[in-house]
Amino acid sequence: MKINTLINKEPGYAICSIENMKIFKKLRDSFLKNLKIPHKYKKNINNARVQIAKMSKAEINRSMINFLTFNKNLSEMMINSCPKLIKDLCGKDLFIQRRAHTTINVPGNEHTKQWTHYEMISGISPFTYIFWAPLHDLDDDGGAYHIDLKTSLKIMKKEEKEGLVNGPRVLEMMGLKKPPRLKFGQAIIFNPFVLHGNIPFQSGFARIACNVRFQSCNKPLLQKNTDYLKYFRLS
Amino acid sequence: MTIAIINTDMNIGPFRIPGNGQNMITNNYAERNNFKVEEIIPEPFKSRSLATTQWVHKKKRLKIVILCSIHQLPLEKKRIKDLVNNMKKVEFHFALEGISGKGKRFLLDCIQEAKIFKDARIIDSQKTSWSKLYKIKNSKKY
Ligand SMILES: [Fe+2]
Repeated sequence: MKINTLINKEPGYAICSIENMKIFKKLRDSFLKNLKIPHKYKKNINNARVQIAKMSKAEINRSMINFLTFNKNLSEMMINSCPKLIKDLCGKDLFIQRRAHTTINVPGNEHTKQWTHYEMISGISPFTYIFWAPLHDLDDDGGAYHIDLKTSLKIMKKEEKEGLVNGPRVLEMMGLKKPPRLKFGQAIIFNPFVLHGNIPFQSGFARIACNVRFQSCNKPLLQKNTDYLKYFRLS
Repeated sequence: MTIAIINTDMNIGPFRIPGNGQNMITNNYAERNNFKVEEIIPEPFKSRSLATTQWVHKKKRLKIVILCSIHQLPLEKKRIKDLVNNMKKVEFHFALEGISGKGKRFLLDCIQEAKIFKDARIIDSQKTSWSKLYKIKNSKKY
């Protein structure tokens, strides 16, 4: 089935291959370069992940200070790593997230995980897509799970009837599904009505992933504007 | 050489930010960037020309100005020309967008980006619901 259909219809998300690995590898190198850990661990992403897995939250935050430099071009790099697919979904003229996110998840049950949620909760427009990619192979449950669009919509409508959205029914869903084990060079693209989240995982490695949101600039906006988005034209 | 924050009308493009809210945003931005704010410039209600700022610049030679958003920049040709000519040496910071720079090119790029967003359609979130938004997503009308 066409990726476009998978993302917009059922199941609302698709696993795809990054088109330009040169850019994506550069992105990962830039992440490692800007990470504040001893130099000897920076040569290999898995060595870095082991170091991060041992850190406290405060230490991780401190190690991320240099990320401001890394994050500066992250959005463009991510978008440019999958130009054909993005063009197919949205055309060339885009609104992209001004500052893409890098998330670091540390293993262990005690660490807070991302509750199940719709990406719509932040006020992005319904025409937005989310592009999520790990910076390494996922060999454990440290990834993100997605719940098919049909189920997600059913729950949304049920909650809406009760005068609620993304309420306890959704929040309690955490852990019902296992995250797929993506390889480095794969990404998940999904629409903002798909429920997703992650679960606590056991591993000696931290999980590092980047994500960016984008939409066509010919489609309407909702609450997010220049505070969150910027204009970008695919070359 | 002065560092100033600029307050304008509360209608800032798609945002509505009251004066004290603008102060909080720009002062917090200044603090995070270690800027010592020496001047608060109040632009009049309903004005979008940044004329007071340009007048203050002539008197005090501003070095850095901090605004909430690129949506506070002028839209009219003549006003844009005045601003760019008079303030091309001043460093502009926009707290919500988190961008900064100076010179004609930078200011014109910011104004152009604000215009692209101004021209984009906006769904009124107060008049819709989650399921309506899902329908909108699939509707050919948009
Ligand atoms: Fe999310």
